[in-house]
Amino acid sequence: MMKWVLFSPELYYVVMAAVFFFMSLERQAEPRKLYKWAVILSGVGVLATVLGARLQGTLFFDAYRIDLFSQVFKILIAIGTFWVMLVCSELKGVDERRHAEFYFLMTICTLAMMMLVSAVELLTIYITLELSSYSLFLLVPMRKHDGEYAETGIKYFMIGATASAMMLFGLSYLYGVTHTTYVAEVVKALPQVFNQPAAVLGLVLALAGFLFKQALFPFHIWAPDVYQGSTNQVAAYIATGSKMAAAAMVIRFIGFGNADSGYFVQLLMVLSVLSMTFGNLVAIIQKDIKRLLAYSSIAHAGYMLIGILTMTEQGYASAIYYALAYLIMNFACFMVIIKVADDGHNLQIKELAGLHKRSPLLAMTLMLGLFGLAGIPPTVGFTGKFLVFAAALKKGYLILVIIGMVNATLSLYYYLIVIKAAYLLKPVREYLPVRVDGVTRSLSIALVVLMICVGIFPDRFMQLTEAAAAALLM
Amino acid sequence: MASMELASFPILSTILLSTIVALLVIMLIPEDRPKLVKQVSLGFAALGVVLSLLVYVSYDVDKGGLQFVERFLWVQSIGIYWFTAVDGINAPMLILTAVVLFTGVLTMWELETRVKEFFALMYLLVAGVYGVFMSMDLFWIFVWYDVSLFPMYPLIAIWGGTRKEYGAMKLTLYLLAGSALILPGILYVWAVGGGHTFDLFELQRMGLPAHVQRIAFIMLYLGFGILAGVWPFHTWSPVGHVAAPTAVSMIHAGVLMKLGAYGILRVGMTLCPEGLGYWADLMALLATIGIVYGAFVGLAQTDLKYVIGYSSVSHMGIVGLGLATMTVDGINGAVFQMFSHGVMTALFFSAVGYIYDRTHTKMIPELGGLSNTMPVASAFFIIAAFCGVGVPCMSSFWAELLVFISAVKTYPVRGVLAVISLVVSALFMLRVVQKTFYGPRNERWEHIPDVPLALATPRIILVGILVFFGLFPRLILDVIQSAVVPFVSSL
Repeated sequence: MMKWVLFSPELYYVVMAAVFFFMSLERQAEPRKLYKWAVILSGVGVLATVLGARLQGTLFFDAYRIDLFSQVFKILIAIGTFWVMLVCSELKGVDERRHAEFYFLMTICTLAMMMLVSAVELLTIYITLELSSYSLFLLVPMRKHDGEYAETGIKYFMIGATASAMMLFGLSYLYGVTHTTYVAEVVKALPQVFNQPAAVLGLVLALAGFLFKQALFPFHIWAPDVYQGSTNQVAAYIATGSKMAAAAMVIRFIGFGNADSGYFVQLLMVLSVLSMTFGNLVAIIQKDIKRLLAYSSIAHAGYMLIGILTMTEQGYASAIYYALAYLIMNFACFMVIIKVADDGHNLQIKELAGLHKRSPLLAMTLMLGLFGLAGIPPTVGFTGKFLVFAAALKKGYLILVIIGMVNATLSLYYYLIVIKAAYLLKPVREYLPVRVDGVTRSLSIALVVLMICVGIFPDRFMQLTEAAAAALLM
Repeated sequence: MASMELASFPILSTILLSTIVALLVIMLIPEDRPKLVKQVSLGFAALGVVLSLLVYVSYDVDKGGLQFVERFLWVQSIGIYWFTAVDGINAPMLILTAVVLFTGVLTMWELETRVKEFFALMYLLVAGVYGVFMSMDLFWIFVWYDVSLFPMYPLIAIWGGTRKEYGAMKLTLYLLAGSALILPGILYVWAVGGGHTFDLFELQRMGLPAHVQRIAFIMLYLGFGILAGVWPFHTWSPVGHVAAPTAVSMIHAGVLMKLGAYGILRVGMTLCPEGLGYWADLMALLATIGIVYGAFVGLAQTDLKYVIGYSSVSHMGIVGLGLATMTVDGINGAVFQMFSHGVMTALFFSAVGYIYDRTHTKMIPELGGLSNTMPVASAFFIIAAFCGVGVPCMSSFWAELLVFISAVKTYPVRGVLAVISLVVSALFMLRVVQKTFYGPRNERWEHIPDVPLALATPRIILVGILVFFGLFPRLILDVIQSAVVPFVSSL
């Protein structure tokens, strides 16, 4: 019985999903009512995960591990979900009849991701990963005028299915050479079999599945289209909550391996450099802000990988910190997009013109978020980059860090273009002032305070991430 | 006794905090009270002047070393400290910052568009500048350094003039490319030093291996050097100066560029003495090219602000040359030059700002004969020009003298070249003065009134400082020397 306490945050989300499931059976649920329920329930969900932060143990024949690492990421995922629910007040992008299903799928997806970060057995990993993917496959095309966006849904599904297939294939090879599906044991067995091509192939293919989720180059092709094609809220969710799960998985997988072997690290380095450079270069020419953020997310996956590939505790801690930072900054940008495009259309950069007049608070939130993404102090994004690079230099990867910094400078160019639109450009036509309700206002202020305070006073958070990284390696 | 009490009061943090409080207060003032914004800005700027003067005056020269130290742990696991202190090198820089901010606020008294945002950003910038000058922890030096850079973008792009968006973007990207070298440099030094402290002096005491110093120094030198306008990375500087509004040009050329030189001295040279020895030759070469190049290119300019921009490149070259000599006199002169060039450029831009506000042109051929219609406004520029060419009784005379004496000793050929180019720079300054202010009366500008007293005040203060330290150079050189002598002996 006591064991089920370990599972309580996930159980909470099961109940929450059930609530929305029954609501979706109603003929016509009132959108306002649904929104209120979603906010309250996901808010309590954050509480539930926070209360479960200190839980420790294993479940389901050791296939499911609860430690500080998994619990920290569960909190991050819960926060991301809560924030996305908060900005669903004007869910105009989705047909009203489907709102209940929308919340239902979001909850299921959140649940799946939470289970994913705790999964330490190959099949469990695969099942939870698929559960979250399938919810997203449904969420992405769920948009008014779905004819236009059906392409996105199909594309995402096809690419996602291919990635899953590759991953499953890789996992089967891993099982074949190591005769176990427990990640910890696979990893223990790997060094002896690493001379077999099958083992390397298996590892690389399995990793490809995770990197697909994280949209790391060359597994990124879905990201820009999906960000653009899905509703702003779903895009925000993919960019925040889903990114957290992907990051956790990559860290966990590589962390378990701790295979500080030359060419594996070199492979990761190459991926990281390509991802940063490609993401930043292509982002420069984007006109649609969601596409721009999609390419920037590819670049950020690269930065995060720098911390991970150091294979040190400090490196993992820095990557966790980076994930936290990324969650805050990226959500800040998406919140502004959602509020400015309150009828749910795809926002172009030039439509931000004059935002500083239409809503000074949103303009400031956007500016800080973008400066954070560019890694300018005193924001949390800077501290994240600083820690990641510090970890890399401890291992002596000087060139990698220089490339990373040059990339940060590159990225500043396109972030500045957006900031310029918000602060400098004269609007081509008259836009109405953006309606900022109380929730948005307090959320904006909270995000601004978080971005600056977590950036300037990182000590507390670093202790937490270090403890989480230590739990990971235990 | 007084200084004993002061020592326990966190006066440096107070200076820094006051700028952040000013920023917050300005942001809370309603949009429709621009007058109040200006008054608040001026009030806090005056507070900064008073506090930094207090620090300067109560700095104990005989004792030397770091004073007003505040140091406590900020982030445990990687060893970041909140570490602020004053020595002979940064004490003058604090005054420079305070004075330029104060006069800058006064200069922008007539600003009308988006007043609140302008002063808020200006305070953010100045917070960064103060932060760099007083921090002795590498993490904070970098944080404040970047904080001082990015407000430049909106400041130039919103309130700027000629080709403002281009200028703003170029400047921002150049400077942040510089910081893309500084951050790896800092982290490299930290990692080699064991990875548990960012304290500048602890790292210095560790004595890094020679090959590390060589790599780290070149990164730090180039990174900070971009901001210091080192040739060939100076091209952002004239463009940025021309595009920026007056007060921003003042702060930027007057203070911000000094951050670059200060960074080379404080971070690069302190941490990597051997690296400095290895690269000093290159530093001297680039500095000399900068001096000569700035003077010659300045000769060909027709835009007043471009003239000043290129003269800045030339003058910052003198700072670089002084640092590269690695002698007491050279570094003394370099720091003194940083100070006096800061005040002088502020005066330059401030003078041009007034002329531009009234005539709406800064093209030399269109002006001419201005001294007839506005003698006082012209006088400010002419005084600054005299200072620029190093006329005795002006503070930069002493600074340049010290640098050139030691440069000729250490690098005879380059030193002599630099001295000769001073003649060229005198030529171009006098040419500008002659074409702009003398010559036939220009009918177009007949109606323009001379500087009113309120607007003349900031310029008078700047002139006063230039002449004062020109007459009593020891008042500043003694302080600088108290830090430079032990510094050079540790090289």
